[in-house]
Amino acid sequence: MGTNAVVRWWAQSVRDLRRLRDEPLLGVAVVSIFALLLLFILYPLARVLTASLFPDGAFSPRLYREFLGNWFIRQAFLNSVLMGILTAAGGTIIGFLFAFTLTRTDVPGKSILTLAAILPIISPPFVSALSIILLFGNNGLITRQLLGLQEFAIYGMRGLLLAQIFTFFPVAYLTLRGVLESLGGTLEDAAMNLGATRWKAFRRVTLPLCLPGIASALLVLFIESIADFGNPLILGGSGFPVLSVQVYLQVTGMYDLPGGAALAVVLLVPSVTTFLIQRYWVSRKQYVTVTGKPTRAIIRAVSPAMQWALYAACLAVALFVLLFYATIVVGAFSRAWGADHSFTLRNFGYVFGVGGQAIIDTLIIAVTSSPLAGLLGMAIAFLVIRRRFPGRQAMEFISILNFAVPGTVIGIGYILAFNQRPLLLTGTAIILIANFLFRYIPVGIQSGMAGLRQIDPSIEEAASNLGASTPVTFRRITLPLLVPAFFSGLVFSFVRAMTAISAAIFLVSADWNLMTVQILSQTEAGRLGAAAAFSVLLILIILLAIGIIRLVLGQLFEYRYQAAFG
Amino acid sequence: MTRRWMVCGLLVMSLLLPGLVRAQDTLMVYSSVDEENAKKLLDAFSKATGVKVRFTFLSSGPAVARIEAEKNNPQADVWYGAPSENHVVLKEKGLSQPYVSPNAKDLAVKFKDPEGYWTSFYMNPLGFASNVNTLKQKGVEPPTSWADLLKPGFKGQVQTPSPQTSGTGYNMVAALILIMGEEKAFDYLKKLNPSIQTYTQSGTAPSKAAAIGQAGVGIQFTPAFLQLIEEGYPLKITFPKEGVGFEAPAISILKGAPHPELAKRLVDWAISLPGQATLTDAKTYFFPVHPKAKVAKDLPAFEEIPTTNYDAIWAGKEKKRLVDRWINEVLRAPK
Repeated sequence: MGTNAVVRWWAQSVRDLRRLRDEPLLGVAVVSIFALLLLFILYPLARVLTASLFPDGAFSPRLYREFLGNWFIRQAFLNSVLMGILTAAGGTIIGFLFAFTLTRTDVPGKSILTLAAILPIISPPFVSALSIILLFGNNGLITRQLLGLQEFAIYGMRGLLLAQIFTFFPVAYLTLRGVLESLGGTLEDAAMNLGATRWKAFRRVTLPLCLPGIASALLVLFIESIADFGNPLILGGSGFPVLSVQVYLQVTGMYDLPGGAALAVVLLVPSVTTFLIQRYWVSRKQYVTVTGKPTRAIIRAVSPAMQWALYAACLAVALFVLLFYATIVVGAFSRAWGADHSFTLRNFGYVFGVGGQAIIDTLIIAVTSSPLAGLLGMAIAFLVIRRRFPGRQAMEFISILNFAVPGTVIGIGYILAFNQRPLLLTGTAIILIANFLFRYIPVGIQSGMAGLRQIDPSIEEAASNLGASTPVTFRRITLPLLVPAFFSGLVFSFVRAMTAISAAIFLVSADWNLMTVQILSQTEAGRLGAAAAFSVLLILIILLAIGIIRLVLGQLFEYRYQAAFG
Repeated sequence: MTRRWMVCGLLVMSLLLPGLVRAQDTLMVYSSVDEENAKKLLDAFSKATGVKVRFTFLSSGPAVARIEAEKNNPQADVWYGAPSENHVVLKEKGLSQPYVSPNAKDLAVKFKDPEGYWTSFYMNPLGFASNVNTLKQKGVEPPTSWADLLKPGFKGQVQTPSPQTSGTGYNMVAALILIMGEEKAFDYLKKLNPSIQTYTQSGTAPSKAAAIGQAGVGIQFTPAFLQLIEEGYPLKITFPKEGVGFEAPAISILKGAPHPELAKRLVDWAISLPGQATLTDAKTYFFPVHPKAKVAKDLPAFEEIPTTNYDAIWAGKEKKRLVDRWINEVLRAPK
């Protein structure tokens, strides 16, 4: 039996290799993507792993043994997993709520709801936590002024969970919206024509068809929230330690790089496990809904009462989002954010004076890295789902790996890997671009794969039969069908290139600085208004960019968004 | 279509090129002094000496991690700012090189490494910042001693940085040990636990929480307090009469620095009288270390602040043990 499996695997590999020979371009694509993944993902991680296993120059697992015996670290590990599960569940539910309401109901003010559902993806570091404290803290607008609560404990599990769900639900929304949009309403109509109730149609048709998307959203949210350290750093405090923060602190507070690396490896265990579970569960089901045949929904899948209930829930979340950003905007135009709210423009004067160059640098880097991330993401998703070649699973696995690793560790890994000739990249823009590119492709890949699983391969086969090569099929057939997924990938990587800090802080230089590092510097020095003003600029730039991305995609692929973004 | 992609590619390449070219005669600085103050001080240095400077802001933790990771090919000449304890770490890791500036003879012993590996160029005391409005609601006065903080009125009102994560937090614990002795200091910290709203991860978070009224009292070094008061926040600064520690941010020249001569000129200038005067003229809220330098009018006189004889070298050596003890005893103590 064992030998049989090996023989089968071998025969399959040989067949796959032959196929590669017949299609040399596919081979080139596979090999070059693998080379990039090796260089920019595996190699830096290997450098970090080596550092953790050779703490004193010789091999020793002592760091791992020390950490496993440490109650504080064990607690941090449990907290991380708990937080990840709750964030993934909460975020996916809210994301689905928005995606479903916006694609399946006919309610007024959809453009505002859409904005509310993607806005929180833009959460400027440090300033967001401050805004949450101003809304929910001891002196908070919502907790104290509206609800009259005294001493609401914002630090710890509760406050952190609130912030994490708020920050990450848009990722679930973007994934699920793409899925629900390409499902259309025809299958639900068909179910109801055959006598199913609305609830039954939802439970037996809509929900199962959304499962790959839901699984992707859960996976991405879980992984992202346990690797994130911005919110936990401020809201977790020492009372609710989580592992990602411990990694950061081990490296930056205790000056213990090998120790931090070892903790990061521990953190990878739940991430990788989740990934494997998701793969096993989703890959066993088949979902083809985009067949190239005409689709047109006739019957409404949601009853009027349900529609308004969903609408009310969305509005409540939207109101919260609105308050969150209003708080930051108020801060940007106030003399003393949180204390003296008389109007002033001096914060913006200050920002343009001190941070002009950082704004330009940030833009250049984000504008360069996000299209690359979007395209590479779609290319990998396409290859993994639609083509057979040896190492297919490995490609998917490696490309998503960086997503699960705390940014601190990636940042350190990049310096260790790229600070010497011939790979001397420190101090350049390339190292920042590569970091953002390879760290944030997974969202594009995941939504691309979820989208591809729904598109009938026969559409692409038709193109092949008519003589199109793999690249032509990809560009002319697959990519246009994947535009919603491509859009999520682009937006996500652009936003993260503009807002992420944990890895970037190790990679910025005098030549290339980032706005987020400026925000950190301003908050540390006590110029809260300036930090808020920087954040407002950051948000405006991102919103503008999302508009432009939409326009360009529409032009390139003649794709029309139905009320997708305002 | 293909041409469009090629144009994109060329565009990308042209964006990347500037990063590959680096000026030869420019001093490269990793600054843990905040962006604005670093700019003011280093601009004054360039003006006085003609040396061109480029700097990158990095808070102290990321700075050490980065200098260590880059040790085979240093990207910077000096590390500018961050309390001297961090520079002790840098010296022990073998990441800096000695330089005894001729101007260093004017400095007190506590402001320089005996072998010249680091030189402090300004200092800040630790202090309490009270949000006047919040404390009024609670009916308590701003604290003037460590003992005050144990009063029931301060329950859940105090934010202080965690020694595990922040140099400031560790500075507080180490200074308390120097004042009270180790056992009494840990006793005190355990009793303080109910007053603590949260141990913040960052050394500058308490001042912000106090400024916006989330906490009644924030404990940290004073410059951010003074900046926040200047911005218009209702804060009042007090110092505990039993004594407080202070930080003395320093400069180290990195081992393998590409421009060691320029780096030495920065050290010379930073502790010279004109360099020290810049601290005051540029409104940094930093205290000079040169005994003859003038102190800004809006700063409290340093002699009136009950600073301990803080010993950065001792504190650096004991750090791992004391932090472990703090995690196991204080963090686990009942709230």
